[in-house]
Amino acid sequence: MAAKKAGPENLKLAAVLDLNEASVLHGKLISMRGSDVVLDASDVDRVGVQCAQVLVAGARAWKEDKKSFVVEKASDAFEKTMQLIGINIDNLVAKEI
Amino acid sequence: MDMNEIKEIFFQECEEQLAELESGLLKLNDGDRDPETVNAVFRAVHSIKGGAGAFGLDDLVAFAHVFETTLDCVRSGKLEPGQDVLKVMLKSADVLADLVSSSRDGGSVDESRTRGLVKELEALAHGELPSASGHDAPKPAAKPAAAAAPAPKAETPKPTDDSGFQPIPFTFDGFGQEEEPVIEGSTYEVVFKPRRELYSKGNEAALLLRDLSRVGEMSIACDTDALPDLDKMDPEESYFSWKISVKTTKSEDDIRIVFEFAEWDCDLEVKFADEASSDEEQPMRPVPFDLSILDDAPSAEDDDKQAEHGADQTVAEAVSAAETATSVAKAAGAAARAAERKESAAAAAAAAQNNAAAAAASAGQTIRVDLDRVDRLINLVGELVINQAMLSQSVIENDATGTSSINMGLEELQQLTREIQDSVMAIRAQPVKPVFQRMSRIVREVADMVGKQIRLVTEGENTEVDKTVIDKLAEPLTHMIRNAVDHGIESPEKREAAGKNPEGTIKLTAKHRSGRILIELQDDGAGINRERVRQKAIDNDIIAADANLSDDEIDNLIFMAGFSTADKISDISGRGVGMDVVKRSIQALGGRISISSRPGFGSTFTMSLPLTLAVLDGMVVTVAGQTLVVPLTAIVETLQPEASAIHSFGASQRLISIRNSFCPLVDVGRVLNYRSTQANPVEGVALLVESEGGGQRALMVDAIQGQRQVVIKSLEANYTHVPGIAAATILGDGRVALILDVDAVVAASRGQSLRPEMSLAATG
Repeated sequence: MAAKKAGPENLKLAAVLDLNEASVLHGKLISMRGSDVVLDASDVDRVGVQCAQVLVAGARAWKEDKKSFVVEKASDAFEKTMQLIGINIDNLVAKEI
Repeated sequence: MDMNEIKEIFFQECEEQLAELESGLLKLNDGDRDPETVNAVFRAVHSIKGGAGAFGLDDLVAFAHVFETTLDCVRSGKLEPGQDVLKVMLKSADVLADLVSSSRDGGSVDESRTRGLVKELEALAHGELPSASGHDAPKPAAKPAAAAAPAPKAETPKPTDDSGFQPIPFTFDGFGQEEEPVIEGSTYEVVFKPRRELYSKGNEAALLLRDLSRVGEMSIACDTDALPDLDKMDPEESYFSWKISVKTTKSEDDIRIVFEFAEWDCDLEVKFADEASSDEEQPMRPVPFDLSILDDAPSAEDDDKQAEHGADQTVAEAVSAAETATSVAKAAGAAARAAERKESAAAAAAAAQNNAAAAAASAGQTIRVDLDRVDRLINLVGELVINQAMLSQSVIENDATGTSSINMGLEELQQLTREIQDSVMAIRAQPVKPVFQRMSRIVREVADMVGKQIRLVTEGENTEVDKTVIDKLAEPLTHMIRNAVDHGIESPEKREAAGKNPEGTIKLTAKHRSGRILIELQDDGAGINRERVRQKAIDNDIIAADANLSDDEIDNLIFMAGFSTADKISDISGRGVGMDVVKRSIQALGGRISISSRPGFGSTFTMSLPLTLAVLDGMVVTVAGQTLVVPLTAIVETLQPEASAIHSFGASQRLISIRNSFCPLVDVGRVLNYRSTQANPVEGVALLVESEGGGQRALMVDAIQGQRQVVIKSLEANYTHVPGIAAATILGDGRVALILDVDAVVAASRGQSLRPEMSLAATG
């Protein structure tokens, strides 16, 4: 996976972020490491804790890499579930340092 | 899979859970205080309750709930599981089993008994010991508090109207209130740490948290410290944990109920806020929770997605959906959709439960197979064995020279069929445990009825035997256990007077011995009163007044038809039909039963049964031109008698001298009426067999043809019972050969003194 510096990569999150999606999402994020990332959460209907774990770990990794990791167009379900499980969405919609 | 199938699976699992419950309780009764045992017991009741809830079996849910509440007190150490407590628990397990079977098969349960036990269980949960008057309990305020408690929570299952069973409203509430009074706006601190299994079983922490948010006003802090780096993390592992503060008017139980199906796959602490650590210690500030999120929570979202991702549906969601389906339906005004959802929720609950059960039994992977299929396979393998024998026979007949390659091929085929047969039989082999467990209930109930204290000790429950044998074993064993409790063990006063422990012991053991299963039932009671038995036998015209019987023979008189020494006929036993029926059932199974007794020390019944009713290894013999099969297990040795070894005894009896001891010679052809005169022993072969009473007999046959595994074909099912014959088989040449009932033949041969129940002379 060559680091792509050209511009932020876009990743559209699946509608159902369940147990099965966690590994997929994890793989996608690993392959995007090194680039700025914009996550499109507009279609998300359901978020499982395991996907949330991957997203939080991703946000941390990007923060470490000093790259931007932004969740755009978060759907209502995405926002509310994150709030429900106590994840501050602001941490995900990370400001680049 | 339709609902009935799922329900059937649920009931099958109930059986397993009930067995688990009973064995756990018995372990506790024996002084086992392993927390895992208590947990296993709790889990069993809990699972039954959960499944029953999904299927709307309200009576079952209501009773299981009360039972579970009391068990929870034991689990949390609030209730010491002493003998008195366990007595109530064991009875409750029996009632629970009754409720399960009445839910499955219809029928009714003893309502007064159920109600009585509900009261007893509740009293226990309130800290009142069964023996106590009820007011010297540690918490005297318990009862009034429960009585004054507000209306039980909405989820309380309502009994079905037609059952008449009135569950007492959840005692848990009362119990919880007594310890932690719920005042307006109590705050609970919940620490919830799911484990990986929670997710892998299809549960979802987010949904549990959503359900928790419905209990009250919730603030939450997610602890993400355990989360490793992105590249080191396992996306399916569980890293997050939560500290949640819930402000609610409901009780701790309502909070716990949210996690009830995930309980085993997470660490959960629920504390009253005052005892909990202060918020400042938490790594994150709680995020205020907006309750509006519930308005469009996933469960209310479009049904299509629900169906698509049905597998993800959590048990918690399923159960809560099932429980609240009615109210949801009303509120939404969409009864049909809700009913649909309820069904799918119930299905998911059952499926998830199934998974959980499968995971719990991960020691060995198993599948459930319809018994009919196995039986069909066994029948087919039986036919294969017969066919293989026929093939061998025709090859031998048509090819006298015996081409070696064909013979070798045939031998290999024979070995293969034998292996297939053994493997197929192993499929049907089951441990005797379920039957033994049923006996412990009988001991409890009968002992209660007659006011005796009896402990049942079982050994070798894992001994395996063919399922058909197991199924037929329960009835004779029940008879014998009842007899042992009613007649065998003395009353506590008598026992004490005799210097014995007032608590009697009945020991039930199973073991394998030389290709048969041996079941022993031993009691430490008074033993057989031989004088009385003998007198009774004379009075009932069973033996002649001057008959000279050994102690052993007197003991065995109790198996005679119409024999009963009980002075009064009781509900339990003593109708005089007991032991002869037992003997007949055991014999019908191809088994033997005998008794040995020591006055003052108790009696031991020994049953020896074949491991299977499908095949046996037999010796094929010729008697008066007929081919008979003698079960190999009965034969000790075979010998060619010499004229000098044969001695006459009395008018018609003959003895054979074998290594300096005498053994009665039984002419099989004469006993079976194949011939009217005695055959010359020197021309035949003697088969030394072990007989029921322990003595040996020499069965005389004309010649031995060989040794062979034969497939048993029931004579009763295809023709009719023939005395002296156990069953029939088909030989390689296609002819039917009869399988000898060795014990019956031996019994007939000594008919002079014992007047056997089978009059062989009458058959021709």
